[in-house]
Amino acid sequence: MKNILVVDDAATVRMYHRKMLGDAGWHVEEAVNGLEALERVMNQPPDQPFDLYVVDINMPKMDGYTFVRELRRLPHAAQAPVLMVSTEAQSQDALAAEEAGANGYLIKPARPQGLVLTAALMLGDVQVARRSADAQSLQGVRA
Amino acid sequence: MSLNSTELLDQFILESRECLERVGQRLLDVEKAPQDADLLNDLFRQVHTLKGNCGLFEFKALELVVHAGEDVLDRIRNGRLSYNASIADALLEAMDYTASLIDVIEADGALPEGTQDRARLLAAALRDHLGEPVAAPAAGRTEALTPVAPLPAPDWSNALPAEWRQPGRVLVRYVPEATCFFKGEDPWHLARTAPGLLHLDVRPNTPWPEGDQFDCYACNLDLRLVSEAPLAEVEAHFRYVPEQVDHWHVPEQPAPAQPTTPATAPVATHAPAPHTDLLNARLQQVWDDQCRLLARTGISAGTVAAVRQTLTNLLVCRDDHALASQAHTALQGLAPGPVPLAQWAQQYHPDGHGQAHPPGSPPPAMAQPPRRSATHPTPEDGGTERGQKVLKVSQDKIDRLMELIGEMVVAKNALPYLATRAESLFGQRELAREIKTQYSVINRIAEDMQHAIMQVRMLPVGIIFQRFGRLVRDLSKKLGKDVSLVIEGEDTEADKNVIESLADPLIHILRNSLDHGLETPEVRLAAGKPAQGTLRVAARQEGDRVMLTISDDGTGIDTDRVRLKAVERGLIPADRASSLTDPEAVQLVFLPGFSTSDAISDLSGRGVGMDVVRNAVERINGQVELESVRGQGTTVRLTLPLSMAVTNVMMIEAGERRFGVPMDLIVETVRVPAEDVHHFKRAQTTVLRGRIVPLRALSDLLGLESAPRLNEDGELAVLVVRLGSENVGLLVDNFHGTSDIILKPLEGVLTGITGFAGTALMGDGSVLMILNPKELV
Repeated sequence: MKNILVVDDAATVRMYHRKMLGDAGWHVEEAVNGLEALERVMNQPPDQPFDLYVVDINMPKMDGYTFVRELRRLPHAAQAPVLMVSTEAQSQDALAAEEAGANGYLIKPARPQGLVLTAALMLGDVQVARRSADAQSLQGVRA
Repeated sequence: MSLNSTELLDQFILESRECLERVGQRLLDVEKAPQDADLLNDLFRQVHTLKGNCGLFEFKALELVVHAGEDVLDRIRNGRLSYNASIADALLEAMDYTASLIDVIEADGALPEGTQDRARLLAAALRDHLGEPVAAPAAGRTEALTPVAPLPAPDWSNALPAEWRQPGRVLVRYVPEATCFFKGEDPWHLARTAPGLLHLDVRPNTPWPEGDQFDCYACNLDLRLVSEAPLAEVEAHFRYVPEQVDHWHVPEQPAPAQPTTPATAPVATHAPAPHTDLLNARLQQVWDDQCRLLARTGISAGTVAAVRQTLTNLLVCRDDHALASQAHTALQGLAPGPVPLAQWAQQYHPDGHGQAHPPGSPPPAMAQPPRRSATHPTPEDGGTERGQKVLKVSQDKIDRLMELIGEMVVAKNALPYLATRAESLFGQRELAREIKTQYSVINRIAEDMQHAIMQVRMLPVGIIFQRFGRLVRDLSKKLGKDVSLVIEGEDTEADKNVIESLADPLIHILRNSLDHGLETPEVRLAAGKPAQGTLRVAARQEGDRVMLTISDDGTGIDTDRVRLKAVERGLIPADRASSLTDPEAVQLVFLPGFSTSDAISDLSGRGVGMDVVRNAVERINGQVELESVRGQGTTVRLTLPLSMAVTNVMMIEAGERRFGVPMDLIVETVRVPAEDVHHFKRAQTTVLRGRIVPLRALSDLLGLESAPRLNEDGELAVLVVRLGSENVGLLVDNFHGTSDIILKPLEGVLTGITGFAGTALMGDGSVLMILNPKELV
């Protein structure tokens, strides 16, 4: 099963993401800031690495940007994609996320299907990606 | 959508409250240290979190206000806006409103229609500050907070008769807080004296409760009034209670259709499309993102590896498997480093319109593992700053645990009785001993458990202190006084119930200090004191008690006036008043019905005096002491138990019955030879440790028909209890052991009986009456 680490200081957002991603059939773990997330990554058994990180930007102790930079210095965990999810709607935040090395950027609140579809693509989970795209076309996508 | 699940909503409410509490605290902190970047960042983050959470739900009103607050704080944080008192006021007001919305959401799960109007006003008030340049305030820009378009009528106003709602009039809805009487507010008076009052409609805010549940100290009114005075005048009239008032200015013309609120639309837009198109479109977007990432200079090896992984995963999601696997092979064969990958990714279009160029020399399998970075990945504080794992549990669950352990403590007390019965009734001495052994084991576990659960309920007193910052700020402003609040020992812990029952008495004491104690800057300067008064609230633990000290350096209590008032009100005879020393005269303020304020003041009139404070504190087995030095200030000292869940009582016997007396009140137990009891007229006294102690027979006090018994040595059993500052000896028949009990207050028809604090269920199933010596003597 795919392993996802959700990093966000807002418990409500963590719960929301856990629900969205968990319902898609993935295993979700949580960390409340970048520092704790790094610790989690380092203590993760090598045979169960995280396959995707869903990361907030503004967090106490260590923000999302720093987390990604630090993560990418870790030899064994660096390969998993990072999806930044933040309320910062300004384009410079998306650029800063890119500069830090994030593979994608979504604006919070991420619509459930948007989040799941992007996550599925980044994880290479074709079944979930199809299902999610189906659900969206049925719903008619909100602009 | 299934997203508005109750679980998520509960979490949202819980977290929002935490954020708001922290925001309120931080706003006051920032006022003291406006340059503290950490404070500002934390403040911003709290509001930011709040806004992010709001976005998950359709609470537009909430989002409007919080978003405006976030923007203001963001500017301040970046130094583009300077923090000042008016911004602080706007933010505090906005956060108060937010808190009230959270309450509504918790109660109803949704926000009623009308809330957006007030939200829009508050948001506008906040955004008003954004327009101001940082350094120089715009010349002569004192624009009032008038909305551009007339606001639609709020729901509540529709319930009023149509003829009341004439153009130009101001409709006001005033729902006083339940606790408003304790804040010295007089809603009825306030409503009646509103300027230009034409109509007044009063109804209960919630249906009146049954007679026995009626709380005469809780305000339950919903006042609606119509005024022909200008809006500004009405606003000024209700300026002390703006958060409890909602008003609507009936427009001269009918209100236009409500404008649609600006929605915070997600930036990414997709055209509705069949699923394959949608999937491919999104895939292409993510693919392009990776290309952009690769094109950046200075991209780290780790990021390159992540991009490679992401591209690989994206290929898996391709529709066309043949093409996908072909591309996959190509990707795998790329040379390491960002450049070849970037070139390939640029040329390859995952939607099938382009072709990948296979590289010339395929290196083995996957890319090399990224180069080990020289820097250690862990920040220095990473090891030590390991966050404590915190579990949030609702209060009900803890209360339930507390109840259960209470029952367990009582139930375990049945074992010694059982052991005695086993021995005496069935002659099973061996079994009795085993039961006793088991009892001691269970007893120890129960005590540990009780202690552990009590620890869970311990909260730092800082929780209630937090509210004081705001209270002192608002009141001192209102009264034109300059007061600095100093808080000490906010980490001192006490049981949740103790802390909760402390809040109101403490607020009352603070109000007294602010209203009567501390002087205005002019008066203080004239008296040779610094213009700024100091109000100090300190907490510390002493043994199993918590000591709270509230002191001010104000004018102190005018003992002459106190004596005069006490005599005037017929509370004590004049000759006694004049014989009292000053420290004794100060204590008169504790007498029920005492109030020195001539005019009922806006703040602490209402006849809710220090006697209420004393009662509230004594109800949780605490004590109040008051000291005041004329011209130098007043100090109130509260001594409280750490916990009030379990009461330790001593069992005593009188008139062949057993009673319990709380150990907190007991000074000592002594045996006094009958000849040492002195009789003066009908009173009995004895001398203990050089002090005369009045004696009262418990059986007399309880109306039992038996005189106190002497033991074989001709001694009387005297239980010395502390009543306020005096000691009184109760004559009883005998002393028994002590026991931990859960005190249940008298309920139902027994409620009015004085002399008893309550009852407790004993281990043998009997009920022990717990005495309240204060009411008895």
